[in-house]
Amino acid sequence: MLESIVSYGLAIGAVYALIGITYNVMFSASRVFSFTAGMLGMLGGVLGALFIGKLGLPAIVGFVLVLACGAVIGVVTEIVAVRPVLKSIEQHLYVLSTLAFALLVQQLTAIEWGTEAQPFPRLIPIGSGWLDQQFWLPLLACAATIVGLEFLYRRTLVGRAFLAIAEDSYAARALGLPEQRLRLASFALAGVIGALAGFTGGEMLLAFFGNQSILSFYGFVPVALGGMGSNRGAVIGGLALGLFQQAANFLVGGIFAAVAVFVVFIAVLLLRPEGLAGATLSRRV
Amino acid sequence: MPIKRRQVLSGSAAGALSLAGGLASPAIAAPEPIKIGYLPALTGPSSSTGIGINRGTELAVNEINAAGGVNGRKIELIVRDTQSDPTKAVNGAAELTKRQKVNIVWGPLNSGESLAAVPLVARDGIPQLHPCWVDSLTDVKKYPMCFRDAPTNQQIGAAANRYVVDILKRKKVAVVSDTTGYGTASVEAYAPMLKEKGATVVYQANIDAANPDLKPDMLRMREAGAEAIMPWSVNAGFLARICNTRGKMEWDVPIVGQTTLGSGQTKALLEKPEYWNKVYSNNFRNVCFAKDGKLLPRAAEFVEKLRKVKIDMGDTLLWWIALGYDGVHMMADAVKAVGSSPEQITGYWNKLKDWPGVYGDITFTPQQHNGFQDDEVVMCEVNSLRDGAFNLAPGYAS
Amino acid sequence: MTDLTQAAMLATMPRSSWRARLGKLAPFLALGLAGLAFPLLGDSYWGVIVTRACVYWVLVAGLNMVVGFAGQIAIGWVGLLTLGAYTTSAMTAGTAMPAVSPYLALVASAAIGGVFGLIVGMPALRLRTFYFAMATLGFSTIVTQVALAWKSVTGGGIGVPGPVFGWPFVGDWGFYYFCLLLAGLCTWMTANLAASRFGRALVAIRDTEVAAESSGIAKPRLLMIVFLFSGALAGVAGGLFSSLQSYITPDAFTFDLSVLFFIAILIGGRGSVLGPLLGTLLLTALPEIAAPLVAWSTFLYAALLLAIVLLVPGGIADLLDFKNRRPLEQHREIVPRPELLMQLLHGKRGETLSLSGVSLRFGGVQAISNLDLDVRREEVHGLIGPNGSGKTTTLNVISGYYAPQAGEVRLGKVILPPQAPQLRASERIARTFQTPRLIGSASVVENVMIGGTIDGRGSFIESLLTLPRHRRDEAVLRERAMLALLTVGLDQLAEVRADRLQHSELRFMEIARALMLQPACLLLDEPAAGLSAEEIRRLGVLIKAISRTGTSVLLVEHHADLIFDICDRVTVLNLGRVLAAGTPDEIRSHREVVSAYLGA
Repeated sequence: MLESIVSYGLAIGAVYALIGITYNVMFSASRVFSFTAGMLGMLGGVLGALFIGKLGLPAIVGFVLVLACGAVIGVVTEIVAVRPVLKSIEQHLYVLSTLAFALLVQQLTAIEWGTEAQPFPRLIPIGSGWLDQQFWLPLLACAATIVGLEFLYRRTLVGRAFLAIAEDSYAARALGLPEQRLRLASFALAGVIGALAGFTGGEMLLAFFGNQSILSFYGFVPVALGGMGSNRGAVIGGLALGLFQQAANFLVGGIFAAVAVFVVFIAVLLLRPEGLAGATLSRRV
Repeated sequence: MPIKRRQVLSGSAAGALSLAGGLASPAIAAPEPIKIGYLPALTGPSSSTGIGINRGTELAVNEINAAGGVNGRKIELIVRDTQSDPTKAVNGAAELTKRQKVNIVWGPLNSGESLAAVPLVARDGIPQLHPCWVDSLTDVKKYPMCFRDAPTNQQIGAAANRYVVDILKRKKVAVVSDTTGYGTASVEAYAPMLKEKGATVVYQANIDAANPDLKPDMLRMREAGAEAIMPWSVNAGFLARICNTRGKMEWDVPIVGQTTLGSGQTKALLEKPEYWNKVYSNNFRNVCFAKDGKLLPRAAEFVEKLRKVKIDMGDTLLWWIALGYDGVHMMADAVKAVGSSPEQITGYWNKLKDWPGVYGDITFTPQQHNGFQDDEVVMCEVNSLRDGAFNLAPGYAS
Repeated sequence: MTDLTQAAMLATMPRSSWRARLGKLAPFLALGLAGLAFPLLGDSYWGVIVTRACVYWVLVAGLNMVVGFAGQIAIGWVGLLTLGAYTTSAMTAGTAMPAVSPYLALVASAAIGGVFGLIVGMPALRLRTFYFAMATLGFSTIVTQVALAWKSVTGGGIGVPGPVFGWPFVGDWGFYYFCLLLAGLCTWMTANLAASRFGRALVAIRDTEVAAESSGIAKPRLLMIVFLFSGALAGVAGGLFSSLQSYITPDAFTFDLSVLFFIAILIGGRGSVLGPLLGTLLLTALPEIAAPLVAWSTFLYAALLLAIVLLVPGGIADLLDFKNRRPLEQHREIVPRPELLMQLLHGKRGETLSLSGVSLRFGGVQAISNLDLDVRREEVHGLIGPNGSGKTTTLNVISGYYAPQAGEVRLGKVILPPQAPQLRASERIARTFQTPRLIGSASVVENVMIGGTIDGRGSFIESLLTLPRHRRDEAVLRERAMLALLTVGLDQLAEVRADRLQHSELRFMEIARALMLQPACLLLDEPAAGLSAEEIRRLGVLIKAISRTGTSVLLVEHHADLIFDICDRVTVLNLGRVLAAGTPDEIRSHREVVSAYLGA
């Protein structure tokens, strides 16, 4: 029983954490929270099922293609829904433009792919129980992502430029950093991470257009818990959420589990608007 | 599947002939068509039922029109897709009854939409036939012109309960559903019925269908000593997960429940084909393969017909197609026998006795507008699916 | 002088004349009449659709105040519709308590909707936009879940029948008129609100929260009232919805419905009442007309939303705004009339502003250290220094955006509370900003009226119902704003959208807004930046004249000429410390200042 809660909780938590990181990567580059994070996760599953399940491509080719599609969609998001509204960021038009873009893609998926959940292929046919791919694959992806991001941010020049932009985009621009290109690259990176989340969680969540709204919400909770922009916060928040949700499912049942998660979310937000990890207010005047 | 909402169907292949005939002789005034207002959910989240029923509906309309219509009157099917959304069903019902002034309303095909549409159609005094299961959808006092050519939830649940308790002889039962309206209502209704039959409901829950992990629930069912699982949901993902989890737990327990357990979508989501063993879903005696592996004559003839006009049965269920086909014929027969005024149609149906449908024999009385017979609701063996039909579940006397 | 005042009065006259008002009213009247006459057509199918549009509008009208005016991204408002629908249905059906009349149940729905509007809105007071959007989204899911679970009252998945409204609104058309009446009432109330200081304040919160705070607009209080109001309307809409649907189940309250409400507002145009009204009509009717597109409807809504946000952020309202497409005169001149100041600022006493020992540190950077500063009444006090020397930071401490770690700020004898910018206006401290903070979509005079918000006396309810006190407020504020515009020389542009103004004109507009407060102390943050030499000269005369009415003026500026021209005293900052202080002459000859700053 406990084993089931823990294994599933961590696996689903890792997917939430990856979506949270997707939010963060986009946010760091642009100060924009984008509704497309959940969409990327949904597409990761649907495209994976399409390439590998329907078109019968080899798993590795399908995997690379899914990530590539994620990157492309990330770039398109930046160009279509983010860049045009950045100059009036105070008016929060990005919430609307990214919501519209995400809805557009979701509806297109619903029409073209169908509104029924469809199977996601089993990629690595070894192991059962604990060793089933659906448990460890998201965790592996999450660990790889966090290590990769740490390496990118701390050890590479490009990564430091990302950080500089996240810290203070005006100053970064003044230093001659190509802010726009870096932002584009960040959105591509976010696209890859989001698609990775959906792909690795695919067997668990199935290829289903409705996953978008679920991932948008549950992927955002770790960001709210961990503090925006903090990837470590997102991972801890995501795993905690996964475990909490599974425990709640188990203890109070389906209907009230969603209520419980929501109540915790709101309570944390009201008590600690900056997240449990905390962050300082930015300059306003 | 065309997504035109208000397509006026005057028949495709054969219908085109009659249309051409009409055009060639404009001097003869064509008799007024019979307007059937049709409210299927052809798109949206619960549209697979609607798509299946739609095939039978279109087939019947084409067939009747090709044969010259009903007493020379063509059937005009006025379609409004409800998109599985009650608000759109209300708009659609308003259009059909108030603007199109249809003679009869066929549908909606999902309970959620019918709950909203039935009172409105009743208010406008138009006869209505629908196949939705929610019990309160027929009420001879509130909706005197509304008839159901399908079983009620009560009958569906009773049949499943009968199979579990009387035939499989299981006394400890887990009754679960997803968190939709249909699911919660079913669990609410069926658990007490099981208790009345002398069984014990050892586990009862509404499970979030978006939750990919059903193992905690299933473990608790097993710990509670469940000898049968009865899931009530139209969500293929949810039902497949129950089958998969049972398989992985290597738990040998029958799953007895909703029709969707046997749908192609559920099948596609199974991790192993054998996880579909010992799964029994609702079905109807007339459209099941009997012990000898054959359909009853009426159904066999119908399947032949479907093959001839090349209607696909592989991705849907035979009884859905049959239901659509029967519905149109029931309406056509009423008009043929007595005429198309609301009172005439209602009067005819009120006296309908053993109307021989492909899907079932229908009997109405002025006090009883639920036309389906209890013993025609049966369970079937889902892994026997071929051409949209199933073997009768083991244990029934045939 | 009296001639000029009369000129100011005359300038306001034609705009508020009944002809202009009729022009604004015409579309509403036309819609209202069309609505009243509609049943004559006898098409009861379209009757249902228009009834639906009216029901949706009751909700959207309220939501418009939240989304279109206050700019809060409430995407899950369908949750409140659900709540209202179940409240009315359950009370009428008597599932929770003895059955009551549907009309009474509708009132109860309004009350419950209001309370929950407040609860759902609460996070908006503390959270960033996106967080709030998520919170409303979560709320709408929860309401449905609770409706499913609370079977004894809501009927769970099976649902409950909706109410049937009795006398006097009997039958389909009776219900139609009931909904039309309520929709008309909501239009009237929200239009009143839009044209009141509350409506302007909401838009100010949306577009320029900082300027709103400095004008004394208390965001939390105002938003709470608006959430209450919007929630109440959503509750009423829910009750009507349940009757229209005849039967409600949780399935009826889809997220698509929420998207429809939300997009209707944005298509209509933020900050408008007519636009969202047209948007609601359009989105309700469109799926009925565009039959073949039915499966694509949400897709098309989303595409429409994206197009609106990217191409026409002003929505339908912007397209209908013909007035602001007329070209403005090319060579405009700002000619302030300082002689009007006495009239504008009559009866207000200036006060001395004093800072003592103020220190502020951001992380490792000492922004201000141990700063003493006195700005006396009737004086212009210059604050200069190189970039990063702490000038603007000092202004921000005074106006309450930053809390200093040490020291205090006083006006006269009153100690100003730190970090409470919205409390400065009531102390009559006004300010302008380095980059002008304005509501681009509002007219110049409306922007200026923001400055006088705290002088309104009428309550929210009085504005909603346009009671006499509200009308008096409006007349007083508008008259004062016109006088302020005349004083700074922008009276000809009063009715022009503020975002059409040139940069220099915006600087003067900000001063006019600040003057609306009849300030005891005025803080100017680089008002001369971007102005021509002649404009700077005129600005100097104006600033000096303001100080001579008794106001203490603190002027942060880079233009040394302006500083030495008009300041009575000057303080020079460097690295957060006072480098020198004294009369302009003393500063001009101060060795360190010359080498560190002026000489450079």
